[in-house]
Amino acid sequence: MDNENAEHGELVGQILDVIAKEGMVDRARVTLDATLEDLGLKSMDVVIILSGIEEKFSVYIPIDGPLAEAKDVREFVGHVVEQIVRKEA
Amino acid sequence: MQRRRVVVTGMGAVAATGIGARALWEAARDGRSGVGRVRLQREVNNRVTIAAQIPDYDPTQYFDRALLAALDPFAQYALIAADEALAEAGLAEARPLGARTAVILGTGLGGSSTLDEQHRRVYIDQKRPEPLTIPRVMANSGASHISTRHGVTGPVFAVASACASAGQAVGLGLMLIRSGAVDRAIVGGSEAMITASVFSAWEGLRVLSPDRCRPFSRKRNGMVLGEGAGMFVLEAAECAAARGAEPLAELAGYGTTADARDLLRPDPAGAAACMRAALADAGLEPGELDYINAHGTGTVANDSSEAEALRQVFGNGLARIAVSSTKPVHGHALGAGGALELLITIMALRNGVVPPTLYCEELDPACDGLDVVPNTARAKPVRAAMSNSFAFGGINAALIVTQANPH
Repeated sequence: MDNENAEHGELVGQILDVIAKEGMVDRARVTLDATLEDLGLKSMDVVIILSGIEEKFSVYIPIDGPLAEAKDVREFVGHVVEQIVRKEA
Repeated sequence: MQRRRVVVTGMGAVAATGIGARALWEAARDGRSGVGRVRLQREVNNRVTIAAQIPDYDPTQYFDRALLAALDPFAQYALIAADEALAEAGLAEARPLGARTAVILGTGLGGSSTLDEQHRRVYIDQKRPEPLTIPRVMANSGASHISTRHGVTGPVFAVASACASAGQAVGLGLMLIRSGAVDRAIVGGSEAMITASVFSAWEGLRVLSPDRCRPFSRKRNGMVLGEGAGMFVLEAAECAAARGAEPLAELAGYGTTADARDLLRPDPAGAAACMRAALADAGLEPGELDYINAHGTGTVANDSSEAEALRQVFGNGLARIAVSSTKPVHGHALGAGGALELLITIMALRNGVVPPTLYCEELDPACDGLDVVPNTARAKPVRAAMSNSFAFGGINAALIVTQANPH
């Protein structure tokens, strides 16, 4: 997943921007090592972030599935990148 | 003073399995799913295309044109199910039921399809809404129509607690009868929110499965929306006995709690506290339950949280309790869900058969310890059974039924 994130640096940055904007968190705090809990993101915020991602990248990501197990921003972003890449492939 | 005992003397259902309690029970027992391609009154760009809707439903078979003008589908379903329950209780012709009877109806949204259609009329067609929009939409509409139809002049009201609505409505009926405020209560839940806009809104919440509801399975990926109504006649045991009515089961316990945490993510501690409260209310030890109809929505969050709560409450005793979710059969009927599932729970108790969890594939390790009765019903004597409902908003409800005439 780290490889994937590194390979898609620009995309990762855009996703972090969406997390910061839709989750209403200071962008500087949205690092790959942060957990959703660290950022104070609750279930509602995740729904809103996923809506923002759908709008920006036209990809529908359910809240269930791999995303439910994401322990930190790195894993969360990794799953989102995977979905976007798969869609574009 | 000894507490009043409360029994169930009638049940009725409208669900994706058809009209009637028997159709619902048989489908749940035999693992026949009512899920199909979603039918919406208008085309929308929905990505999810499945739901559990009432098959071949024609309201004109049940209501005349004048009454229909005042009835949203959620009120229609409630009336049909209440009529069936009252007929089974031997009260179909007992009108007026009077001031010692209550009607308590759970519903999440009330008249959704009316609201949806009338919004469209205002915003798109630039017309005034139809004159009976408000009385169709209001959440108490279903309860009020049952009251009017059967001459119920006691307490009549709606309970709106999302997926815990029906559980709380039944529980409140139990409490009102125990308190002596009434002798009888017509209780349950009704929901008809599969409209174009509400369906899309559920999709936006990202909790709907694109293919099927597989509670407790490792690869589960969400819930399937359902609709319908489940209604019961509850009576003080001495009142039922006095008129020679045969009880179907005793409604022995009710617990309700709130998580007071996350709006959407369930908390095992709240669910566990709720089940413990229901057991205490029924005066039962955890080991005395033989069957639990789980909330089991098929979402990752609910099922693992519910499994954790069950382990907390039942410990090592969980292995000998059958725990199934019947939602793959009737869908998640939201405000009606707790009522459809209580009905199935009572049928399991009466028939000594526990219904299966349909579409069970590999059990999720997070749901370890649960005997989910995979895919096929099982003969099993049931002395006492519980039905769980856990709602968005962190509201939990659990109901316990026991044999009406324990041997």
